[in-house]
Amino acid sequence: MVSRTRTVAVVGLQAVDVTVEAHAGSGLPGFAVIGSSGAAAREATDRVRTALVASGYPLRARKVLLSLAPADVPKAGARFDLAMAVAALAELGHLGDVGPDGLDTTALLGELGLDGTVRPVPGVLPSAASLAGRGVARLLVADANAAEAALVGRLQVIPVATLAEAHGVLTATTAARRVDPARPQVDAGHVGAEDLADVRGQAEARRALELAAAGGHHLLLLGPPGCGKSMLARRLATLLPPLCEEHALEVTAVRSVAGLLGDRPTGTLLDRAAPLRAPHHGASPAALLGGGSGVARPGEVSLAHRGVLFLDELLEWSRATLEALRQPLEEGVVRVSRSRATVTYPARFLLVAASNPCPCGGGSRCVCSDDAIAAYRARLSGPLADRIDLAPQLLPLSASDLLATEPEESSAVVRARVATARAVSRGRGGGPNAQAPTSVLRRTATNAALQTLALAVESGRLTGRGHDRTLRVGRTCADLAGCDLVGKEHVLEAMGHRGALAPSVAGLA
Amino acid sequence: MTTVTEPSARRIVRLAASGVTAHHLQRVTANLLDEGADASPRQVTDAMERARRRGRGLADDAMTDAALEALDRAGAAVIVAGSQAYPRRLRDLWPQLGAPLWLFVQTSGDPPAPVVTAPVLPDGPAVALVGTRKPSLEGLRTARVLGMLLARHGVVVVSGMARGIDQAAHRGALEADGATVAVLGAGFGVDYPRGDAALRDAVRGSAGLVSELLPGSPPRPAGFLRRNRIISGLADVCVVVEGRSRSGSLQTARMAASQGREVLAVPGSLHQPTSQAPLALIRDGARCLTRMEDVLEAVMAVSTAPVDTVAAPHDASTARGGADSGEAPTGLAGRVLDLLSATPVTPGEVARAAGRPLPEVLTTLVELEERDLAGITPRGYVRLPSQERRRG
Repeated sequence: MVSRTRTVAVVGLQAVDVTVEAHAGSGLPGFAVIGSSGAAAREATDRVRTALVASGYPLRARKVLLSLAPADVPKAGARFDLAMAVAALAELGHLGDVGPDGLDTTALLGELGLDGTVRPVPGVLPSAASLAGRGVARLLVADANAAEAALVGRLQVIPVATLAEAHGVLTATTAARRVDPARPQVDAGHVGAEDLADVRGQAEARRALELAAAGGHHLLLLGPPGCGKSMLARRLATLLPPLCEEHALEVTAVRSVAGLLGDRPTGTLLDRAAPLRAPHHGASPAALLGGGSGVARPGEVSLAHRGVLFLDELLEWSRATLEALRQPLEEGVVRVSRSRATVTYPARFLLVAASNPCPCGGGSRCVCSDDAIAAYRARLSGPLADRIDLAPQLLPLSASDLLATEPEESSAVVRARVATARAVSRGRGGGPNAQAPTSVLRRTATNAALQTLALAVESGRLTGRGHDRTLRVGRTCADLAGCDLVGKEHVLEAMGHRGALAPSVAGLA
Repeated sequence: MTTVTEPSARRIVRLAASGVTAHHLQRVTANLLDEGADASPRQVTDAMERARRRGRGLADDAMTDAALEALDRAGAAVIVAGSQAYPRRLRDLWPQLGAPLWLFVQTSGDPPAPVVTAPVLPDGPAVALVGTRKPSLEGLRTARVLGMLLARHGVVVVSGMARGIDQAAHRGALEADGATVAVLGAGFGVDYPRGDAALRDAVRGSAGLVSELLPGSPPRPAGFLRRNRIISGLADVCVVVEGRSRSGSLQTARMAASQGREVLAVPGSLHQPTSQAPLALIRDGARCLTRMEDVLEAVMAVSTAPVDTVAAPHDASTARGGADSGEAPTGLAGRVLDLLSATPVTPGEVARAAGRPLPEVLTTLVELEERDLAGITPRGYVRLPSQERRRG
């Protein structure tokens, strides 16, 4: 006879059903696992056997064989321990009559301690989400994973602290504990301490941030050290409207797979705030894009999905790393291949890069020649040139800015305008303005606007590529102004926002 | 007679091939003058050869022939002090004050005989335009416009072919189809400044390239300082466009002053490092350029040769300034334009000063840019001077 339990493997963000089969036969007593690979399986063998014995379920000198199917799915980590132990219990007759729900409609997910405690594992959210649609009615997980699994709804989540409790629940001798579906308040948005009102002055950068948030335009902040580049970049996330449930689940699923949900309080598991990631320029390509052995874990670009990725000191990043950003920037996903699997993670983020404005660092003591600055800027935008729509110049803080008592606009006020503009552009279809099809943009632009752009290309002020990007930013300016059509004034402003990347006054030397 | 005081080209090239520099010649000349001799080019050559024979030696015939051959290959003429071909203004400086014993000259004409008798460099009024290698955009613009203005009035523009102000001055003169001379810091046939061969060819085709060094000699720091005395020496007036404190332009200006040339300086902002040299010169008594045309007046006052006072037709509008540029901007555009100057400002600064919302100000700035009233630089927006307006 063979006993079966159900569990889930996670490859990237994709959940794959896994069946654990247990067979107890006669022969030399032993305990073996097949269908898994690597050290994880050998360790699981020892862990599960010890946990079974410690929990008071003797193995009765039988030859126990456990198989994890399908065999060709990469299986890493200790997430199958609980399912393996329960399959063994069933096979050895410890479960008796399993009860009305049976093992067929129950999934198990958890790591076992040597004493039989059940421990949390990463990737519970995508696992639970996939189970809900596949005839599974209840899911047993560790206490610490229960709230996360419950985010999915449509599934009875039962927390179990120990293997013994799992046994009790399955044999209906212990009452199943309930989990509060810890769904947080929907309007949360950003409630953190950071707010745009903290930033004094910097009108140009403020406006650029607003446009970026409204139209999904990537931006490059140029400013001397200490003028507040990182401060501004960090506040861009606070301008993005709260994530919708679907997006919030995507974000949380990536965090779950990355193992970042562990220490979050239950109420904040499903985070509605747009994420912000600010990796250091020393980060390896693997850390940025995703990596690790066997099956790649999500990198910073995926953790910034639906949020903001902030790259400070853009020139310090290696060119190869920046080149690798092209795929996520273009496709909104990142594919990472490792020895055991190629996985795809979502990576649709808003890029904020920051840099000094010139080779010497800038500021009032700058002695760089205009030529040197132009060359520096060209190098700056290099691999990302066709992706960056806005390049505001930040000013060194002036005393009057610091002393001003008039309050600056808060994130909430700007966020409301952004939400309105986003709703308008959604109504047109084709996604945020930064990705909308050119045909839509041209259709909604006045002739004067298109003519202005054409003239700018002719005079060398804009490149062909810049033409397109400028029209997109112009569309966002119009959306924020509540205009149906992109007017000349909107494209003029849009050109102004690319000023720092523009070719210098032509033909002078 | 001049024919007696003038040493042969072969002797001169032998000295050059022996590594004799202006520095050595200056010492020999000073000694001659101390002894009461009149230090004619021939006497200086004799004395130098004597000193070389005693000391580290003189190039042998083979080396001299090789140097002559190199000059021939480069199509370069040898101009010896004291000869008819020697530029008038330098002749006046002999024997001291930086007049070189020889010049190698490349011009557009047929490869001349090693010794030329007729002047190959233009003899008319000439102005030296000098300045930093790392200029501001404003400086480049000034140098180019000055070059054009002078060239249109038939004044030769002399400069040093260095990147920055020098090249802008040459280009300005070339744009106006005028004459311009470059005194190089390296020998002919050396790609220096690297990659600018096209401009060197253009200047050669205009009025000519001058070097004190044999073909193939690499540029040396000390050589640039010696080269500067020829730039100022070849001109009637020396204009310093931009330079930092302790710059080569400052040194050229001081040399020009000691050669009796009038020195003009282009004033700039106190806050701009590239204004330090011109401002220091103005403080020390150099004439301050208040209008572009000042330079014409200065050269007319000192040059013995006539300056074309009738400008080329297309110059009329330039001289008058922006009178032809349509109606003056009003409203916010006028306000924003008033806030712009030669010092670049970012849109944020303009918005703050104007007290208007940024989107509006940015729109206005780009509009002014479209109308050629404002220009964009990597540091921000500048006001374009009327000279720069390309369209009405």
